[in-house]
Amino acid sequence: MAQTGFDRRRINGPEQSHPPTFGTQDEVEGRWIVGQPRKARKPMDIRPIFLQPGLIDQANGSAYVETERTKIACAVYGPRQTKSTAYHEKGKLNVEVKFTPFSCERRRAPMRDAEDRSLAVAIHQALLPAVQVELLPKSTIDIFLTIIEADGIEACVAAGTVAASTALADAGIEMIGLVMSCAAAVVEQETWLDPTEEEARSARGSLVLSCMPALGTVTSVWQSGKLRPEEVLGCMDACQERCSDIHSVVAQALLENA
Amino acid sequence: MSTTTPTTTSVLSVLSPAEQEALKAATFQRLHPRVYLERFLAENVRPDGRPAEGWRDVSAHVGSISTADGSALVRLGGTTVVCGVKAEIAEPELDREGEGFLVPNLDLPAMCSPKFKPGPPTEEAQVLSDRLNEVLVSSGMLPLTSLCIHPGKAAWVLYVDATCINYDGNVFDAALIAMVAALKNTQLPKATFDEETGRTTCSRSIKEPLQITRTPVSMSFGIFDSTTLLTDPTSFEEPLLDTTISVVVDSTSGALLSASQLGIDATAAQDMLQTCITAAAQRRHDLRKIV
Repeated sequence: MAQTGFDRRRINGPEQSHPPTFGTQDEVEGRWIVGQPRKARKPMDIRPIFLQPGLIDQANGSAYVETERTKIACAVYGPRQTKSTAYHEKGKLNVEVKFTPFSCERRRAPMRDAEDRSLAVAIHQALLPAVQVELLPKSTIDIFLTIIEADGIEACVAAGTVAASTALADAGIEMIGLVMSCAAAVVEQETWLDPTEEEARSARGSLVLSCMPALGTVTSVWQSGKLRPEEVLGCMDACQERCSDIHSVVAQALLENA
Repeated sequence: MSTTTPTTTSVLSVLSPAEQEALKAATFQRLHPRVYLERFLAENVRPDGRPAEGWRDVSAHVGSISTADGSALVRLGGTTVVCGVKAEIAEPELDREGEGFLVPNLDLPAMCSPKFKPGPPTEEAQVLSDRLNEVLVSSGMLPLTSLCIHPGKAAWVLYVDATCINYDGNVFDAALIAMVAALKNTQLPKATFDEETGRTTCSRSIKEPLQITRTPVSMSFGIFDSTTLLTDPTSFEEPLLDTTISVVVDSTSGALLSASQLGIDATAAQDMLQTCITAAAQRRHDLRKIV
């Protein structure tokens, strides 16, 4: 991997280094092959969720979410005064996502790509309709997410949204409902919920749906890949159903922490 | 004044007497941190209930991150640091043909404390990364020659990245424990360099641990008001300290690897440093079980 600039603010390694290449003769065993049923889970099953609100002492609200290999920590700071002097009638919701360098298969050198930015936008879009920003003039709510380990970018968006919404509730910020999120991928003709990285790679198309199960409203849909309209609607229905299950998990976790 | 007083009393009256007292104490702590700490120390206790020479609980979990070649999560009281090791292959430096690389970095993201903002590493993160690098290199815990695959052609680069999840003081000690534990947890695939093709191939099945010769652990102390020695300071105590002392020892042999003092030289500092080294020698036994 070519290093474009020498960063004086960090300890630097050699100018060029590349991840290890493995011999072809010993392939990883047990890889999914086209035509086989889904491994490890049923198509409509999601990974078990572990959710812990309030682990960061100095944050106004925080949450840690773990779904098997996906691990995300989230902190909410605010509402606090906006730095700029211009008057804003509505509060500003600021979402920042950071990948740890060891979170993916390939090392993520700091500040090399824009994937964290696109993730932040997706989570911001999902949360904004729920947060009552009109009650917080001149203020900013900062949501910081650190991805400790990632297993599929769609699952990261979904888990990140759930973590952020839990942290907002933990911070006592007024929302009209808790935002839940679920991902789906279409592999061959089948819909698989909560795809892992490997599953997403073999998928034809994928979708992330964020909604407020308490109100029955959808806040954001992010679809990519080649899917027929009826497949998209099928995925959305499946995701929405699963979101109400996740909602009860989050509500339970928040009650236990209160 | 007449308009604000009724609202203040109405807000306070919602709270129970105990909550009102807690709010008063929190306000006093925020406005007069130094006096707040002084009053606690006058009673021979610290705000979190420890005596001046008390340590916080340490715990470590290793190997929970599957995308890293080695990983550790360390908690030191409230401070939480997660560290992952990623191994890559590079050509060795021309003047050090038979050596690999060890690249430690500590990140203090905006998530872990309200005092950090998003963006490039803060001054504190840069200083801590540099000190960690110094300790890992100078202690010789991992001979760089053991990372060589083929002299002059290929060697391992170990990126040791630590991230702070929760900042509650003494991040240096926690980060060093996390880095050492992650390195001990690291397994490298067996690599072979093909002289004809000039390529390095690794085996998926055969993995080997690193040849670690030492396990450095650090113990930090702070001097408050040039008289009181506070062990393992928290994030509330840290900004009030005149001097910070860090003692790094090898947890297995007890050999002193480094001692550093940052801040003004108080009159009794000579004795203080000696006290710290003695205390560290005691403490290393507890940390040895963790790492």
